[in-house]
Amino acid sequence: MITIEQLTYRYPDHAAPCLDDVSLAITPGSFTLMMGPSGSGKSTLLRCLNGLVPHFSGGEIAGSVRVLGEDALSAGPRVMSRHVGMVFQSPEAQFVLDRVEDEIAFALEHVGLPRSEMRLRVEEVLDLLDLAPLRDRELRTLSGGERQRVAIAAALALRPTILALDEPTSQLDPQSAEDVLQALVRLNSDLGLTVVLVEHRVERVLPFVDQVVVLDAAGHVRSGPPRTILPDVSLCPPVVEVARAYGWSPLPLSVKEARRFALGITPTPKPAVSAAPPQRGEPYLRITDLEAGYETKMILNNLSLNLWPGEIVVLMGRNGVGKSTLLRCIVGLLHPRRGNIWINGQNNKGRSVAAISRELACLPQEPDSLLFADSVAEELRVTLRNHGQPEREQVHELLSQLGLDQVATRYPRDLSVGQRQRVALGAITVTQPGGLLLDEPTRGLDYAAKAGLASLLRQWRNQGAAILLVTHDVEFSATVADRVLVLGRGGLVADGSPQSVLANSPLFAPQVARIFPGSGWLTVEDAVAWKG
Amino acid sequence: MNPSSTLLLHPLTWVTWLVVAITAITLTRNPFYLLTLLLLLALVAEVERPLGQMRPLDPILFAAFTMAIGGVFNLLTVHYGDTVIFHLPANWPLLGGPLTMEALVFGMTNGLVIGALIAAFGAFGAAMPVGALLRLVPRAFYPLAVVVAIAVTYVPLTLRHARQIREAQQLRGLQFRTWRDSLPLLLPLLIGGLERALQLAEALAARGFAADQVPKRLRLLLVAGLACLFAGLLLRIVWGYALLGAGIMVAGGLLAFMSLRAAGRRSRRSHYRHYTWGRNDALVLAGATLTFAALLLPWSGSGSLFYTPYPTLHVPAFEPLMALLLLGLLAPLLTRSGVR
Repeated sequence: MITIEQLTYRYPDHAAPCLDDVSLAITPGSFTLMMGPSGSGKSTLLRCLNGLVPHFSGGEIAGSVRVLGEDALSAGPRVMSRHVGMVFQSPEAQFVLDRVEDEIAFALEHVGLPRSEMRLRVEEVLDLLDLAPLRDRELRTLSGGERQRVAIAAALALRPTILALDEPTSQLDPQSAEDVLQALVRLNSDLGLTVVLVEHRVERVLPFVDQVVVLDAAGHVRSGPPRTILPDVSLCPPVVEVARAYGWSPLPLSVKEARRFALGITPTPKPAVSAAPPQRGEPYLRITDLEAGYETKMILNNLSLNLWPGEIVVLMGRNGVGKSTLLRCIVGLLHPRRGNIWINGQNNKGRSVAAISRELACLPQEPDSLLFADSVAEELRVTLRNHGQPEREQVHELLSQLGLDQVATRYPRDLSVGQRQRVALGAITVTQPGGLLLDEPTRGLDYAAKAGLASLLRQWRNQGAAILLVTHDVEFSATVADRVLVLGRGGLVADGSPQSVLANSPLFAPQVARIFPGSGWLTVEDAVAWKG
Repeated sequence: MNPSSTLLLHPLTWVTWLVVAITAITLTRNPFYLLTLLLLLALVAEVERPLGQMRPLDPILFAAFTMAIGGVFNLLTVHYGDTVIFHLPANWPLLGGPLTMEALVFGMTNGLVIGALIAAFGAFGAAMPVGALLRLVPRAFYPLAVVVAIAVTYVPLTLRHARQIREAQQLRGLQFRTWRDSLPLLLPLLIGGLERALQLAEALAARGFAADQVPKRLRLLLVAGLACLFAGLLLRIVWGYALLGAGIMVAGGLLAFMSLRAAGRRSRRSHYRHYTWGRNDALVLAGATLTFAALLLPWSGSGSLFYTPYPTLHVPAFEPLMALLLLGLLAPLLTRSGVR
């Protein structure tokens, strides 16, 4: 169905090729996962399937890409759109119209299909993706997952044989991501649609994948069945890493498969660490009886919490429960209706956002919103100027600590997602605040970037920083948290050590805890350490 | 608010309604009628606003703002009228001279006009899906219409990004003191907008969207038509050949129109939705016709539309029947109440 032979591609103005002598084949009706570090060329390879590369991007290309007998590289996206439907990272950036049904029908109107045919196809895809109840809704009123399903429906309306998706869940919370991935699995298994997916959250799709394509930083590719390829891939989901450490064969790809092997192991339960925080004097952040909301809607009710220096606290909870609202209250972007917030012993009331963020920095969900300067170093200097602080050695030192000293003169928006996030972290922490708030910091990061972030946060925690992290990422939480809080409707419903809160939770348990229930293990390191 | 988000009227009915509303607002300077129009149009905008959608701009608040700005600006710059409030020193450039009540009222009336226009477009925008507007555009102008549709769709998205950026910059200590402080807001907004535009272009290309190839012959005809229009305009205005210029302009216009029409016929575009005319349309069109007739037909009350506070401020005339007939623009509410 798809045959790629000796494909080499170089972007305009780039010396090194992005794809180097790539050859692979994808069979009809298969589910193919493309994985690899950021910048390895996964998205570029995907765009070759419908001719967006090189027709849209320019550059030099050699080799051949044949899709259903068509030469995709010479046919171009207009012809290939009949065979390959494409879905991109951000659902918002691919919509033209404002309502669900109109958006799905847009491409059909463009190719001039008769109305009766259009109606049939729209009804089909609405049902396939469970969108019928949302058909009259405005796109802006939908959740991220619903919007991404609309984007998939719009691509499927043209009845392509292949669906290519470029990190469709990277901007979504876990539940929305799960909905989208389940929809893809259903389309592949029920309809026989060929799915080619570029994805970082591979743990969810791995059990359904027929073929894995792994790209490395040099643009080289290995492909084959997951059990053949994954044993040699460096950064994998926890289930695969544990299986490799224990030498399980055939390689399990899901928690269910791994449990069969784990039955033969009797782990020594890890003693639960005391939930008591390292209380040394006053907490760095103290919140009492907080009530907050928007217009007439109350979101937070009677919430109290403390954050001490030298601890990483993870705040979890379902969407819309008020996690981001709490962060907005703490930094002064939203005024609480009742209650008090003290930072470093000082009440927040009447203080400006700038004054608060000098002592308790906050990384927003969209780090790109912070970046506008010409260079990485200049981003940090801008913050110092905003706060009227002189520049000494702190810019140089922080860049070195963040691992950005080699790119200090580069334009920040040219960097990878993980690097951009570190620049944003630098921009908010260059004033050397005693505390740090992070809102969904792992969104869009690959395994290597997440590991780098975890290491950095631990380093700051060890230097005495008080860190509060809002995230849906249970694997990341298990890696970094000293204490886990769960926010329910109105207030906190759990506050304890990661073992006590995460290990037995049906919703928040990481993969290792599910493989070894009752062990108290949360991370790959826990499981590997026991094996010794 | 509108809980169903469905279009209950034919798009052309909404277009007609909008034309009548704009005609009413631009024809009268009577503050009583303008206030009536503002309130009724704001009501239609509120009822048509889809459930869960934020109000992009409160028309009443916006009108209060434009009235204040218009009133103060006119008060300070137009020194005409009999009812003097006080004098500013005559040697003050532009501002010096008598400040009059008439200038204040005239400026506020103009502000009210702008507020009412915003309310009319707000109601139209809330009621009409972008797709319905797109389908009204002739095929020859379809690519242009898609560009406009994208722009309309991007407005709320851009506003949301602007808020995100403002908050993010506040978090790194930015405080807005001078115009230079807006650069950290504008640059990420501009760069982010360009990035999103590229992503959208790529997504459109992947869905097979591309402008149709117009034959060279038709493109030449279009260029020739536009050139004739321009040449005719020059002949009439610059060289004074009124008749010859008009003839060339008509010929050029026809040529341009015919070439666009021919290009449009080559397009394969079809329409997903089939809008039908119904009783609701008749009701709204009847209401709009009543208002339109009241505005344009000569009758005893039509004189009350015209009002100027100069030279001496006086209370505007008020014709109850005229105000009643303006309420014809409220007809869309009847269709909504029928649905419920």
